[in-house]
Amino acid sequence: MVGSRRWPEHLDAVVEEFQACFDAMERYELLFSYAKRHPSPLPQEEWDDDNQVHGCQSRAHVICSVDENGGFLLRGGADAQIVQGLMAVTAIAVNGMDPADVAGMEPDYAEEMGIRSSLTPSRANGFLNMFKRVTEEAALLL
Amino acid sequence: MTLDIEAIRADFPILARTLPNGKRLVYFDNAATSQKPQCVIDAMSEYYEHYNSNAHRANHTLADEATTALEGARNRISSYFGTSPDQMIYTSGATEAINLAAYAWARENLSEGDVVVLTEMEHHADIVPWQQMSIDKGIEVRYVPIDTESFTLDMNAFEVAIEGASLVCVVHTSNVLGVRNPIEKIIEMSHATGARVLIDCAQGAPHERIDFDSLGADFVAISAHKMAGPTGIGCLLVRVDAMAEMGPFMTGGSMIKRVSTEGSTFQEGHAMFETGTPRLAEAIGWGAAVEWLDQFDMSEVHEHINDIASWTASRMREIPGIRIYGDPEREDSSGAVSFLHEDIQSQDLALLLDEGGFAVRTGHHCAQPLMDALGVPSTNRASFWIYNTMGEAESFVQYLEEIIDRFA
Repeated sequence: MVGSRRWPEHLDAVVEEFQACFDAMERYELLFSYAKRHPSPLPQEEWDDDNQVHGCQSRAHVICSVDENGGFLLRGGADAQIVQGLMAVTAIAVNGMDPADVAGMEPDYAEEMGIRSSLTPSRANGFLNMFKRVTEEAALLL
Repeated sequence: MTLDIEAIRADFPILARTLPNGKRLVYFDNAATSQKPQCVIDAMSEYYEHYNSNAHRANHTLADEATTALEGARNRISSYFGTSPDQMIYTSGATEAINLAAYAWARENLSEGDVVVLTEMEHHADIVPWQQMSIDKGIEVRYVPIDTESFTLDMNAFEVAIEGASLVCVVHTSNVLGVRNPIEKIIEMSHATGARVLIDCAQGAPHERIDFDSLGADFVAISAHKMAGPTGIGCLLVRVDAMAEMGPFMTGGSMIKRVSTEGSTFQEGHAMFETGTPRLAEAIGWGAAVEWLDQFDMSEVHEHINDIASWTASRMREIPGIRIYGDPEREDSSGAVSFLHEDIQSQDLALLLDEGGFAVRTGHHCAQPLMDALGVPSTNRASFWIYNTMGEAESFVQYLEEIIDRFA
């Protein structure tokens, strides 16, 4: 983490890419493209009740572990492309980080990216439910 | 009289609002809750500004005014629903109304092995209380399936299911499909077998005039907030003979005659079931809402809504990848158009529509057994009401096509 920023420095380029979008629809298009290039996807065959992130409107599944170097590894998948895209960005952020740093992260980067729908306090917010699950599992890995 | 939609829209200040992204609001989530006309907002503000007080207690001017307004609203609302005030119990909404029927009537009158009939079309509010009653009392719950081709109740299965039933609970109009069930026939058939009947009119009341006394149901559950009234208020309409069979549910202040350390005695009639401080502002607001609605011919309102829903559904059927759940083109459908796109997940689609200013619903709509029957986890739903216009529907379909071209 750098300065007041509460996300890892290597995510800055992604955040700036979203900030450079012309409007919300262009941001969603970019998010859909990130959904298609998730760095550590979780195939649907591995989706089960244990790894499901419970949200009202979309299905999201995550498995958190530590890689061979001791870094955090988020594998995830969602049926909603917006959640899947945010999950991909989150994986870019957290993969390889110290689990202790992941456990202390805040979801501010989504707000900075201008994804308005990521901010709603709705119980059905797939992104926030997913993010909470990731930080909780990171804490368990300590 | 022809509906003057522009004049109606002028009564709803929220319809003029602009969203944070600069888009003009197009509100198509009316099956979740309707917007409120200025007269309802004013009635509630006036209560708090001028005569806020607890009702039924105290001998002072404000308490008299508050009590008069609360009971005046009951008179107005019960009259609107074609019945007398002694057959109307204020509740927090349709959900509490159905729970009241379960805990105050069924718990007193049903025992192990008695049968309650539900349908796959029910809202969770008309399923979970009966499942809980099944656990508590050992009653049997039967579900009438829907025909997934016509999206209507399987009435042959219904006829079989009601044999020996003590209570039949059916939704007047599906919040997902917009299908209006043949409730008159359902009531007649159920009564013929000796069962009491509860009709969930949460979705029906905003679309047609519910005349409780002539309808003949034993219980009718209604929410104010879907028919221009405030949230947090509704009612259970109960026939006098059924109310006489009910025991106390929520207990405490207001519903008692006398309390001593040895025990308590209770009020009779609706007062037995209205415990604690009443929802005064909400009841007064609902009274204003039914007065506002009463100026319209509800058959004209229904025709207006049905025209929009029917046109929207027929245009959407032409969009590749869209599937409609329900039959909004039917004359008795209530203005809900549930749909899915084969490539764009429902939550994604709702968020993309929101960027265009269109408020639609997404999810299981608190009707998961119906979702199971349809074989889908969720749907998008556009639902229309009195203030929506054909122009809004046209812009919705156009924007939907643009989204699909861009994201599918």
